[in-house]
Amino acid sequence: MKFDVLIIGGGLAGMTAATKLQSEGLRCAVVAEGLSLHNVSRREFCAAGGTLLAGDKVVSGRFSGDRLISVRTEKLGDVDLEADNYILATGKYFSGGLAADMDRLYEPLFGLDVEYDEDRSKWFDASFSAPQKFLEFGVKVQDGRALKDGVQIVNLYPAGEILAGISSAQGDARESVINSAIEAAAAIGRK
Amino acid sequence: MQENSISANNFEQCQKCSLCETVCPVMANNPKYPGPKRSGPDGERYRLKNGIFFEDALKYCLNCKRCEVACPSGVRIADLIQQARIDFGRKAPKLRDMMLASTDQMGPIAGAFAPIVNFSLGLAPVKGLMDITIGVDRHRTLPKYSSETFVHWYRKNAEASQAAYKKQISYYHGCYANYNYPQLGKDFVAVMNAFGIGVQLLENERCCGVAKIANGMIAAATKDAKTNVEAFRKSVRQGRDIVTVSTTCTMTLLEEYPELLKVDNADVKDHISLVEQFLYKGIASGELKPVWKEGFRARAAYHCPCHQERLGWGIFTIELLRMIPGMELIELESNCCGIAGTYGFKKENYKVSQAIGKPLFDSIAAVAPDYVACECETCKWQIEMSAGVPVKNPVSILAEALDLEKTAELNR
Repeated sequence: MKFDVLIIGGGLAGMTAATKLQSEGLRCAVVAEGLSLHNVSRREFCAAGGTLLAGDKVVSGRFSGDRLISVRTEKLGDVDLEADNYILATGKYFSGGLAADMDRLYEPLFGLDVEYDEDRSKWFDASFSAPQKFLEFGVKVQDGRALKDGVQIVNLYPAGEILAGISSAQGDARESVINSAIEAAAAIGRK
Repeated sequence: MQENSISANNFEQCQKCSLCETVCPVMANNPKYPGPKRSGPDGERYRLKNGIFFEDALKYCLNCKRCEVACPSGVRIADLIQQARIDFGRKAPKLRDMMLASTDQMGPIAGAFAPIVNFSLGLAPVKGLMDITIGVDRHRTLPKYSSETFVHWYRKNAEASQAAYKKQISYYHGCYANYNYPQLGKDFVAVMNAFGIGVQLLENERCCGVAKIANGMIAAATKDAKTNVEAFRKSVRQGRDIVTVSTTCTMTLLEEYPELLKVDNADVKDHISLVEQFLYKGIASGELKPVWKEGFRARAAYHCPCHQERLGWGIFTIELLRMIPGMELIELESNCCGIAGTYGFKKENYKVSQAIGKPLFDSIAAVAPDYVACECETCKWQIEMSAGVPVKNPVSILAEALDLEKTAELNR
């Protein structure tokens, strides 16, 4: 199956970008593991002809050089979902967009490069209510595109809380989430 | 006293976000139902302590599984509820529930007297009597039975010619195609044959058991499940994958067997596919080559049944129907139709059932399609009765849209 844009994650960032791109005439698909509460944008997205793969999860991606070629999902099995561009909006730790071991922080889906402090003792503050540094970590970007082993993936745009510096666990991050989604959508729209 | 300490259904993953409650069609319409969060993961904490915390109100769950699709933490909410009903439901099933649930016992009896049964079940006094005596709501249009079953038709008209095809599959037809609507089975055979695929029946196919599970007849459902899985194994050994037409049967065979009935299907699971998935993959890979009829025109609204939503395979149907030249396909917003198998037939559920379906009926009326495309047989009964628009299975739509002869020539 082939789409213009495939959006991974159906939260605030994913749905904002998807609705914008779909209404601009691009053929979009959203893979949303669990439904978020953004009923209005979801309805708008579907009414505009967008494809929503609800309750499904991207499990792997195939890369070639500096491009993401296709992804596969848990429920569609061996069917390849292809797109010209991808938006990665899988959030931070709670939603599984980022994960951590004792000694490293990583992006579990594609193994993208992440920005974090290698000194683990600096990840957190022992005081529960103090600002927590691990919530500031996120995937690395260059011109809005993700990096994998130092190579810019030219058609993969992270958006929302997976980005460094955006975290809804510390104050209201909605504006930054929406802005990052609109920026990613605009960059794809300009192509 | 603590009776158990762990649950197989990962209720500990529940974060109390309540998204499941926002998508539950019953909760919005029946105040007696505590909702998926309380009935599922919340209630499970208590039930693991002691079975006396089981609530009878869990019977209002229609097992649409929309809560599971919505859950961001992967909790099998509907399974928790069904499992609790299996483990703690104390009431023996009523005569009505047994009659509604025993589709493959009632089928042959009703089919033998089909004209009389269909005529009688349409009469107001009979409906009134059934309403009072056994509690099948009088407003309900009951499914018609066919005098000739699909299997009988197949043995007489199709079986002999099947071996000639180069590729072979086994067809799990289900009770509906067999007893109520053999035309669906005939369309299936016509489409498969056109693509050069021979259709065999399974040895000793039984009802998938979904209605028995819903009505507390677990021993009978488990027996059917074991027979079916054995039949699938035999078919796979003979080199034939299994193709199904009903979304609910398919979900039951794939998911409910291991999860609820504890019947292991791991070795055959990957050999079972829904017909739309099977055909989409075949056509997309170029293995199957369709020739479409010239001048075919239709405006259809696609309704994705709940269990198709749960399988996550609605996209196969959509992509398949979009391949048809002359097909204008409108995707309806995903909503439950309210029937949920035997649920909506019960007098105590009728009003809730119709209230649940209303947003869907309204959206169909707004689109005013030639027909609704839908893979589910009980959705078909509900939508035809309540929205007054015919419902066609995608297989039947394909049988109409394909130039069967030219397709057969190309796939020989």
